[in-house]
Amino acid sequence: MSEPQPTSDALANLLAGYQPPAGTYDELIGPDGRPRPHWDALLKDFAGMGINQRRTAGSTAEGLLREHDVAYVAAEGGSRRPWHLDVFPLVIAPEDWQKLEAGLIQRAKLLNAVVGDIYGDQDLLKSGTLPAPVVFANPYYIPHCHAYKAADDVFLQFQAFDLARAPDGSWWVLSQRTESPAGIGYTLENRIVTSRSIPDQFNANNLHRLAGFFRSFSEQLARISDQHLAVVLTGGPDEQDYFEHALIGRYLGYPVVESADLTVRDNRVFLKTLEGLERVDVIIRRIDSDSSDPLELRSVPGHGIAGLLQAARSGNVMMANAIGSGVACSEALLSFMPGLCKRLLGEELALPSIASWWCGQPKEREFVLNNAQRLSVRHAFARRSLLTAGAFEFGETDPALADPALLKDRLALRPYDYVGVEHIRPSTVPCLTADGMLKPVPMVMRVYLAATESGYQLLPGGLVKVSGKDLGTESHLSKDIWVLSNREIERETLIQPLRAATLKRSDRDLPSKTADDLFWLGRYLERADGGVRLYRNLFLRLAGEASLGNVPVALNILTSLLVSQGRLSPSRARRALAAGSRAVEHEIWNILFDPDSPDSLAQVLRNVARTADHVRERLSPDTWRIIERLTSVPNLRWRVHTVSDAVSVLNDLVEAQSAVNGLIHENMTRGYGWRLLDMGRRIERARYIIRVMRELIVRADRDHPGVLGLQLELADSLITYRSRYRAEPQIPAVLDLVLADESNPRSLSFQLATMRSHMEVMPLEDIHGHLSRAQKLLISMHTEVLLADVDKLANTTSRSGNRTHLNRVLNRSEKGIENLTDLITQTYFSHSVGHRVTGNVIRENADDAV
Amino acid sequence: MLYDVRHETRFKYASPVTISHQLLKLRPRRSSRQNVVSTELDVTPHPFVQREWTDYFGNAVQFLTVQEAHRELVIASISRVEVLPGMNIMLDFSPGWEVVAQSMQSPTNAEALSASQFCFESPYVDVHDDLRQFALKTFTPGRPLLDATMALTSRIYEEFTYQGGVTDVSTPVRRVLELKKGVCQDFAHLQIACLRAIGLPARYVSGYLMTHPPDGKEKLQGADESHAWLSVWCPELGWVDFDPTNNLIPNLEHVTIGWGRDYGDVSPVSGFIFGGGKHEVAVGVDVVPTTASVA
Repeated sequence: MSEPQPTSDALANLLAGYQPPAGTYDELIGPDGRPRPHWDALLKDFAGMGINQRRTAGSTAEGLLREHDVAYVAAEGGSRRPWHLDVFPLVIAPEDWQKLEAGLIQRAKLLNAVVGDIYGDQDLLKSGTLPAPVVFANPYYIPHCHAYKAADDVFLQFQAFDLARAPDGSWWVLSQRTESPAGIGYTLENRIVTSRSIPDQFNANNLHRLAGFFRSFSEQLARISDQHLAVVLTGGPDEQDYFEHALIGRYLGYPVVESADLTVRDNRVFLKTLEGLERVDVIIRRIDSDSSDPLELRSVPGHGIAGLLQAARSGNVMMANAIGSGVACSEALLSFMPGLCKRLLGEELALPSIASWWCGQPKEREFVLNNAQRLSVRHAFARRSLLTAGAFEFGETDPALADPALLKDRLALRPYDYVGVEHIRPSTVPCLTADGMLKPVPMVMRVYLAATESGYQLLPGGLVKVSGKDLGTESHLSKDIWVLSNREIERETLIQPLRAATLKRSDRDLPSKTADDLFWLGRYLERADGGVRLYRNLFLRLAGEASLGNVPVALNILTSLLVSQGRLSPSRARRALAAGSRAVEHEIWNILFDPDSPDSLAQVLRNVARTADHVRERLSPDTWRIIERLTSVPNLRWRVHTVSDAVSVLNDLVEAQSAVNGLIHENMTRGYGWRLLDMGRRIERARYIIRVMRELIVRADRDHPGVLGLQLELADSLITYRSRYRAEPQIPAVLDLVLADESNPRSLSFQLATMRSHMEVMPLEDIHGHLSRAQKLLISMHTEVLLADVDKLANTTSRSGNRTHLNRVLNRSEKGIENLTDLITQTYFSHSVGHRVTGNVIRENADDAV
Repeated sequence: MLYDVRHETRFKYASPVTISHQLLKLRPRRSSRQNVVSTELDVTPHPFVQREWTDYFGNAVQFLTVQEAHRELVIASISRVEVLPGMNIMLDFSPGWEVVAQSMQSPTNAEALSASQFCFESPYVDVHDDLRQFALKTFTPGRPLLDATMALTSRIYEEFTYQGGVTDVSTPVRRVLELKKGVCQDFAHLQIACLRAIGLPARYVSGYLMTHPPDGKEKLQGADESHAWLSVWCPELGWVDFDPTNNLIPNLEHVTIGWGRDYGDVSPVSGFIFGGGKHEVAVGVDVVPTTASVA
């Protein structure tokens, strides 16, 4: 569809309802009432789009964010929420940005020097430049970090600032982030989504790209890391900003690891990988400083790496940022910045902070008490998350401090804990409304700096934060920032990982914990697969769509299958059987959808979702999407009223599972990770086959063509059988197909052969060139199945009337599979979790058994 | 007084421990009142890695890693320490407590600055209003700092019952205030929290008590194990020790290992192990007066 050329009418139309409030700076409209010139290109294009197309751009962006599953956690312990983006970016003029850049670089240098001094000579405290309580009362001050050796004296590799623009067009710094600044991953994501949602506008503007910044940062880390390994250390998928930890890892090409993946030996840090320990010398730290070392600090149980602090102090591992960096985040510091700048840099502070009064000083405390209504009073050392910070920045007082009497009490006990901050009128920025028009909304922006070889470098972009309230929604919104340039910008892509070309990537550095998760993902996927096939068959038979001899025998067999697969307890099975077919149906219903039952399909799928989440950065976006679809199926319970509804849901599941299997098969590189995932599958499939055979074939009293048919169907081998034999199923032929036939991907023999070939490639626990124990075990199991005489196995013994030979083979195989699982676990997933011990009279925990 | 000190920590594990990191703060600290004649550490099995440093608070830290599989780890610290008598402190002649609290808000000299870092909450010491109220009953306006501190020490001794097993290291100080029970560590933390709640600098001291008192004298509470008490900072005098568990100002019967903001900074033995299953810890402390010559 060709768009009409934008006319001045269209532009006037777009801006007709746009009325910035008086007394504030508007990013778009200048003092003359006309748009500022640097918005021209974007505005013209946007006006030309027409309302519908503008609304489409908005929903394209929402769709992309949903597809990338971009989420964040708003508050400690809160739930994951979708991330929202307004595609209409903030455009900043080149000269405006340059001014800001100089001020921010100075501030970054200054904060780095402040942290260096606090953990060094403490000249700032001795000289009285900084009151002692600003440091000593700060819970993020960690005395143990003193005498920390930082490469090139850089403690803060990475910093972020929140800024607001004053009515006169100048900028204020609202907050300084030095601990492990959040949001840069979201900034990347915003850029990707914005550029895809409005590609023409993106290309029409000559704006700075973000890739160069990341390249410089990564080069800096490479320079320091001295050819060893850099990792992103995260608290895991339950963490607030895990999405961006994974994204940063993927983008920079570093493994994303959790505390349990790392270990300290001889004062050096190592990553536990499948092939042993691998030296790590740079850690991009996304866990809290105070939980980084359970040996020296009072870490949250299960967090941190024992000995990390000493390794870092010795300069054996570079922490980005240094442990203890959070000390410089406090708003208590803001009012001291000019003095600190003079003392440490010998310069005037270029970029002012928002006016603030730290209550640790008597005069300031008095002022805050007397002017509490005109200020925003809050905790000076509180940790605030990326977006909720916005609420405070727009001038809200901590509700707990709104009562003047209470405030007075608090200030009497711990004055140094509080700060009063001036209410501001931040600039307004145009936001796209639901009806495709623009509306001025107050904004705050977050910008990022990284230490590079030539000093601090500012990311030419950032994150605009807009309170959802102003747009009539609950959730906060973000926007991309387009920094225009006077020079022609080189086009660089953000999608390609930066280091792909320079770095050899193999599975060598596959953390053993990730390997474990992949193994379990394979197991859960297969458990779900076996379960779904089983239930589908049961429902079909209950619905009478497929025959299985007379009904009582059939019910008996069906329930015993469920019991043998561990899906139903024997006592419940007996009760249900006694009560008849409706009761059996009811039980199956329960184990299918009951979210609280540990054996239900819903639970297995939940485990799939959990393990997939842990290894998300190793799955392709398509695989991830299908896994999401798969794991959300049990939520469709409301859709299921009848047996045939259930069958249709189960059919959906089989389809989704096939898609996952196909994608994993097609898209994952054949590294150790894939092999372990596949072995997880093979182990579960082998167990499933063994158990079904034991229920259906070992017992001769169940011999019936319908039972053999069920066996073939559950093993997904009915079609093969029919095409091969064109006859009613016979026991030896069935045994041959599901037990020994290596060309049947559902046979036991096939599972064993596949695992053998995996184990030939996996690293061995001993490197003497012998076969590993797992290999030997697999060879003997495989050989037994291959050499089995199916006619002999089909024979029943006279005494019991059952197929004892077959039973023995199956039992041995099952035991073998169990041993194999243990061997794999011991060999490859030895990331045992350590724990604290103390030699103290007083117990570490009241429940510590002594 | 000259003492032979032996502090043995024995860990027994149900299954082998593959790696054991141990952070030790066991070496008695040299000070104007304490001369450390000799000190050594004996660890079985032999550690693969052993290093030493001085921590931020000036305490000796020994770090070791045992990398061979073991079911038992024995850490013995053996020292000979000479404790010198402290000066006679005139409790009434110390400055009013408010003056000291006030001076901590903007410390004017290096000593006061250094003391001021012990005025605030720390990982094991939370400061709450109920602790402040508890302290203010004793810290009446204008009362001399050390006199009031001694009175608070006595109140804790009288109002609280020494009882093991009711608290652990994660029991918050406020809970100890409610329970009115605990062990030396709890009482030290409690008094520290009270002092900090009214803006005074107080630090946690880790050490030992003489285990075999002279005939006719009763054994002090907390002997045979590692002990803890506290210090309060007083201008001119410096740090003055108080032992709320025994209601006294430590003198010749207390051997000091080191000090910090709270237990976490000076925990004598803290380890992090892989493997081991269930474990048992046995701690034995002997502090025996000796007459051997100091030289």
